[in-house]
Amino acid sequence: MKKLIFIVLFTCFNSIFAQTINLEGKVSSDTGEALFGGNIFIEGTSRGTMTDEDGRFQIAVRQGEILTFSFIGFVTATKTVENGDFMELTLATDRGSLDEVMVVGYGETKRITNTGAVSSIKAEEIKYVPVSSVQNTLSGRLPGFFSQQRSGQPGRDASDFFIRGVSSLNAGGNRPLIIVDDVQYTYDQLSQINVNEIESISILKDASTTAVYGIKGANGVLVIKTRRGKLGKPKINVRVERGIQTPVRSPDFLDSYHTALLVNEAYENDGLQPQFSENDLELFRTGEDPYGHPNVSWYDAVFKDFAFQDNANIDISGGTDRLKYFVSGGAFSQNGLVKDFSDPLNEVNNNYFYRRFNYRANLDFDVTNSLSLRLDVTSRFGNINEPRGQNVVSEIYDFSKIHPYSSPFMNPNGTYSYAYDTQDNLPTINARIANGGYNRIRRTDSNILFGVTQDFNSLIEGLSVTGRLAYSSVEENSRQVFRSSFPTYHYSSENDSYNIDPRGNYAYGTYAVLGNLNVSTKNLNLQAFLNYDKSFNDDHNFNFLFLYNRQSSGAQANVPANFEGYTAKINYNYKEKFLLDLNAAYNGTDRFGKDNRFGLFPAIGAGYNISKEDFFHNSFPFIDLLKIKGSYGVVGSDITFGNRYLYQQVYQSGGGYPFGESQTTYPTVYEGSLGNPNVTWEKARKFNIGLDGNMFEDKLSFDINYFYDYRFDQLVTREDVPQILGIGISPNNIAETSNQGFDGQIGYQNTYGELQFNTNLVFSYARNKVLFKAEAQQAYPWLTETGQQIGQPFGYTNIGFYSEDDIASLNDGNADNDAAVPLSDVPVQAGDLKYKDLNEDGVINNFDQSPIGKPNLPTTTLGWTLGFNYKGFSARVLFQGAFDYSFSVIGTGIEPFKSQFQPLHLQRWTPQTAETAEFPRLTSNPSTINSSAAYMSDFWLVDAWYVRLKSVDISYQLPDNWIPFDINNVRLYVNAYNLFTVTSYVKYQQDPEISTNTAGDSYFNQKVVNLGLQVGF
Amino acid sequence: MKSMNGKIYKLFLGLVVIVMSYSCSDDFESLPVEDFTSEFVFSTTDSLGIQAKKYLNSVYSQIEYGHNRIDQSFFNSGDYLDAATDDAISSSLDQDNAVLRLATGRYTASSRVKDEMKWGYYYKGIRSSSTFITSIDRVPLRGTVMGATGPIPLKSAWKAEARFIRALHYFELVKRYGGVPLVGDEPRQLGDDLELPRNTFEESINYIVGELDSVQDSLRVRPIANPASDGHVVTKGAALALKTRVLLYAASPLFNGGNINSENELTGYTNYDPLRWKAASDAARKFMDELTYYSLIPDFSDVFITEGNSEVIFFRQGSENSSVELHNGPVGFTAPNDGVGRTSPTQNFVETFPLLDGKEIGDTTSVYRFDPLNPYDNRDPRLDLTVLHNNSLWLNKQLETFQGGLNNPKAAIQKTKTSYYLRKFMGDFERTDNYSNVSHDWIMFRYAEILLNFAEAENEYSGPTNEVYQVLQDLRTRAGIEPGDNSMYGLQGNMTQDQMREAIHKERRLEMAFEEQRYWDIRRWKIADEVYSQVFQGLVISQSGPVLNYNIVDVLNPTFEERRYLYPIPYEEVINNDNMVQNPGW
Repeated sequence: MKKLIFIVLFTCFNSIFAQTINLEGKVSSDTGEALFGGNIFIEGTSRGTMTDEDGRFQIAVRQGEILTFSFIGFVTATKTVENGDFMELTLATDRGSLDEVMVVGYGETKRITNTGAVSSIKAEEIKYVPVSSVQNTLSGRLPGFFSQQRSGQPGRDASDFFIRGVSSLNAGGNRPLIIVDDVQYTYDQLSQINVNEIESISILKDASTTAVYGIKGANGVLVIKTRRGKLGKPKINVRVERGIQTPVRSPDFLDSYHTALLVNEAYENDGLQPQFSENDLELFRTGEDPYGHPNVSWYDAVFKDFAFQDNANIDISGGTDRLKYFVSGGAFSQNGLVKDFSDPLNEVNNNYFYRRFNYRANLDFDVTNSLSLRLDVTSRFGNINEPRGQNVVSEIYDFSKIHPYSSPFMNPNGTYSYAYDTQDNLPTINARIANGGYNRIRRTDSNILFGVTQDFNSLIEGLSVTGRLAYSSVEENSRQVFRSSFPTYHYSSENDSYNIDPRGNYAYGTYAVLGNLNVSTKNLNLQAFLNYDKSFNDDHNFNFLFLYNRQSSGAQANVPANFEGYTAKINYNYKEKFLLDLNAAYNGTDRFGKDNRFGLFPAIGAGYNISKEDFFHNSFPFIDLLKIKGSYGVVGSDITFGNRYLYQQVYQSGGGYPFGESQTTYPTVYEGSLGNPNVTWEKARKFNIGLDGNMFEDKLSFDINYFYDYRFDQLVTREDVPQILGIGISPNNIAETSNQGFDGQIGYQNTYGELQFNTNLVFSYARNKVLFKAEAQQAYPWLTETGQQIGQPFGYTNIGFYSEDDIASLNDGNADNDAAVPLSDVPVQAGDLKYKDLNEDGVINNFDQSPIGKPNLPTTTLGWTLGFNYKGFSARVLFQGAFDYSFSVIGTGIEPFKSQFQPLHLQRWTPQTAETAEFPRLTSNPSTINSSAAYMSDFWLVDAWYVRLKSVDISYQLPDNWIPFDINNVRLYVNAYNLFTVTSYVKYQQDPEISTNTAGDSYFNQKVVNLGLQVGF
Repeated sequence: MKSMNGKIYKLFLGLVVIVMSYSCSDDFESLPVEDFTSEFVFSTTDSLGIQAKKYLNSVYSQIEYGHNRIDQSFFNSGDYLDAATDDAISSSLDQDNAVLRLATGRYTASSRVKDEMKWGYYYKGIRSSSTFITSIDRVPLRGTVMGATGPIPLKSAWKAEARFIRALHYFELVKRYGGVPLVGDEPRQLGDDLELPRNTFEESINYIVGELDSVQDSLRVRPIANPASDGHVVTKGAALALKTRVLLYAASPLFNGGNINSENELTGYTNYDPLRWKAASDAARKFMDELTYYSLIPDFSDVFITEGNSEVIFFRQGSENSSVELHNGPVGFTAPNDGVGRTSPTQNFVETFPLLDGKEIGDTTSVYRFDPLNPYDNRDPRLDLTVLHNNSLWLNKQLETFQGGLNNPKAAIQKTKTSYYLRKFMGDFERTDNYSNVSHDWIMFRYAEILLNFAEAENEYSGPTNEVYQVLQDLRTRAGIEPGDNSMYGLQGNMTQDQMREAIHKERRLEMAFEEQRYWDIRRWKIADEVYSQVFQGLVISQSGPVLNYNIVDVLNPTFEERRYLYPIPYEEVINNDNMVQNPGW
């Protein structure tokens, strides 16, 4: 047949002018991969060809003719034939394609026939984000995905994430299920996966798509599919990158002179003698006595400006008729920002770092035409290093441990010094890092998946049976190297003498080594499923799946926890016009009592593709797809807390006590929390309705969903049980919340000559509400948590500062005009924060706390992607923002004398600045009304939002004729992560994603700029 | 080809079967075997009661250990409850420390001083005792122990011990809150009625006394057969001692005649009845008459550090260590002898100690004269055994608590705020160079208290009889006070009842200092408003040349309001229980 066409074509050429060119060319994707098997037609003719495995093609054309390139999954492009016999073309990934395939639970679905709420992304789009954890690459790209990155520490920087916000009051009960190649992964395992191994990622948000997971589906599901080999010659891709990391935001502290001034002022406010004399202040100011009056910026002394990270990946893929393979390896290394203080005499590396090596081999073997085997093997080896026993960032913040004037960085004779003016007399932070040793965590994560599929087409067309066995294990152990004693001295510049610290260590102690097994988990998962896929007359399309799933997982020496269940799923559509999905799971875990173990979780999804109707198509020809879809169902969550078997009352072994007159310790046994025989899973009724569409030849696409989830039977501990019960109680299935919102994306793409452009706006909004939580009845309505959002902060309402008039009125003995004050032994003074007395009893106490600000998890997130391709150049930019949340910092993060003095403290209240002050009067007293830890108020809470240039990716694909023959493609790129941030908060110096109500002293989130080279063979 | 396919099917089937059978037959238990239940702990086959004994141990472990008990950060590194009285203040630099809040009244029903205002804690103790009492019956426990009138079954003894501990927890509640809900023997479950009303003060006292009466003859007596393992057990002496204290408290003005809310049966008796003093006096007399094992031992300081001495009636076992020394001992020594001086006894307390012949400072009939430049010479010997002051010999050094002295440095660290440190409960480290391990039991009942309880109750009921005099003289003899020409140990003859009351109160304050007595005594005597209206004072000793100047300075201005005679019941507890009535004023 092919020959015949060729002959026909050949004949055509001969019959026309001899102006034909034998055009050669190459087609690749915007990420540099050669595109295989795409169709190329000459417009207005039936002539055409296909690309080979290297993306190359050959066609005889005439000048001026127009070629159409049509490749599945890519935007169709046209190009006019000009002079020259070589044509090179880059195609943009098609984001709105109707045939786009999305991975869902136990299978795939096409966008056109999907009735559920699924957001999906190709790993190509996140592969070049220079971070180690896959969840850090997703924010702003998937509608309904909420994440917060709490720390930037190498190896511990994976974001917390939630799907459509949170809806359970059970604190640990909001984590989505993570499924990689149909097998459950943990959060930790997910953050270890190398993005280079991933094909695509979906999040499943509604009941229709999550019901197949039944008792584990209520928090949404993140589904990952890894790459597999495709038919063709071996393709080798090598990628090497090097990046520099700098903190997104680093703190700025006052120098010795200004700190001393403020310390004196605070002491004066407290009625104490100033700590520093005029002479001291002068010496701090001039810096003339660097050892007697040091001025050390401990941040600059301890941290570098930047640190390197490196990433290298290689993957080989291809396949023959019988065997297809994808094999990859990767190495990732991220260094910490702490300077190198290691002792030249030993090689103890005390810095933060993370190193990871991983490999994956995904093999598909077609044993016969109907039987295929699959073997996936992957391991990840990680090493996390950190200084032992200290969080260096928190050390920098903590005023009680060191002051800028405590001690010089090193004494004049080269010995270490210590903070002699603090209570603990600790050695300086550089001395402790240099000598304190490290804690190194080594982790091995392995997964093996063996699968076999037999299709029974010979018996019943469309029937197949698959069995899978997956095993995963994590082994984590740590090695600590440390030395507990070393000498430090206080140098007195007055008489040039050295005094050893109070610990009196004259010599270095020996290093000790400590080893621990931290984690050892095993997880065995067995799945067997029957699949039936059939179309009748091309009109009635059926897909039926029945699955048995069993999982047993255990950590350390514990008895494994078991999960077992059945899942059935029926997808039907009529001419892709009327869509119906029925999904159900019947499953349970042994965490609950025998009678409460198994539950049925059904869901229904339906859709109507109105654009498939002729009348519609005729009236609105510019609409390519318009689909209304909806789903409703019940899913569950089996996440519990406390005792593993909550239905049981378990007696516990307690600590030993010495009894009798001997010093023998005798064992004790006590009654554990009361069992709850009725404990069972949490349930969520989820409703989703959405609109899915494409317009203007697929240039504009959108997918918008509204949802309402009602979460009930939530496990919380009753707060309304009198303590005279005399014992703890297990959680009950009582709390109820609702969660509603909308999310979606709108994309637009077009081609202007050789410039391809696309943009995509992703938006998510989710707002929850506590409907019932068995809270104790409160004295005043504003104390009630029911009706608020989950995690709503409560605190005082700030109404400025106490004025000098307020204080005078308090002291005049006439109570008429007195401001409300706290019950405190430290009387309030002018310049203290003044709070609203909600119950008007003249006292500021717990009864005056009401909802302030917003929960810490944003209700609204946005992502906006812009992409350009021009010839070999491509650029992609993602802006990401989070809105409508609050956070605050307490303790060593902000409070004077707990934290180092910060620029904000210069804006403190003084009688002169009473009108313009932005911070209360300074006091050395740690627990006054001005303490954010003791009196949380809306003064401390920042109503936050931020917008980030989350990632940038610019690349240049070298033209083919620049590169040697056996190299397929070469791509140079620069990319960046967290490049800049605009945010509403100025009060604090922390990243806007920190955990609220903490000192905010976790390791700085990182900004990365990265240079890379990719070569394909 | 067909046969090939058939083989493949068989292979496939075989694989599936192997895989299924492998993964279905795991070899684990269906429940963790390490989790055990009531049936295992109270086993019907455990005739030695091995597991039940462990449970009983946990019942014992909920008795509080009073040394440095009041602390918010970690176990036993805080303050003595007495640091919330006029005897001492806390040296802690924390402006919000618990004893300071107690002395200045900075607490409400919703922001309570958690370490001291326990509520659920005692109900937890009550529940675990009740669980033991109701479950031990099914254990076929063998063996007997020696009681007052012959052998008693071990099971009865154990049960009686648990009932004593339960009564003790109730008493801890009653002295803090007044009448409280009596929950009965059967541990309650979720779904049971938990909205119990408070029983009246009278019912609560009667319940406790009734329990003590019914268990006293099922308990062991001292000397205990095997003190190494059983020295801590509840004895008949403990039951009778607790009874004297309960009756004494119940007879005291706060509850007997001075009820802060005179018609409120929850906060005390609604009338005054002198027979309540008689009951207290009789209970103490019965103790003194029947339990002749107990006596005052010769050396006051040995009472607290010598295990098994005949003065100790009941104690919560502590370990052999130097923790009391390190937490309360003077700063300024080198490790490992460097204390953190948590407790600063007040000048008010130090001034209460009489001269060596038992006469007050300034009493011109004394043979001694108080010397303001050597204020600690010729004083009641208990002063030196209770308080460390400037020039005290300690660890072979003369303490320097003057400003800038070795033990009172200028640095802003935790150190004495009054120029005094605590000495009581510590080992005899005057003439050693280093601390060594000392037994630090928390002695809850000792014979001296029985004597004082007797003297107080008897004086209130019968007046200052010879018996009352005798008790005070016995205590003063043991303390080392000189008998004087008239052998009255400094006491006046023919005191009125009021004078005698004052003498007893003062004796009790000195003898029982830091033993969690005075905090409750000033409440039940209803003198807390006076005590807390005085300023707590300390010394600033300044050195000018060789001369030391002793300057008295104010260290704390406490406050008091009447509602503070009883603690507020936790706010949530009142909210969660419709029948729970809050104490007046809260």
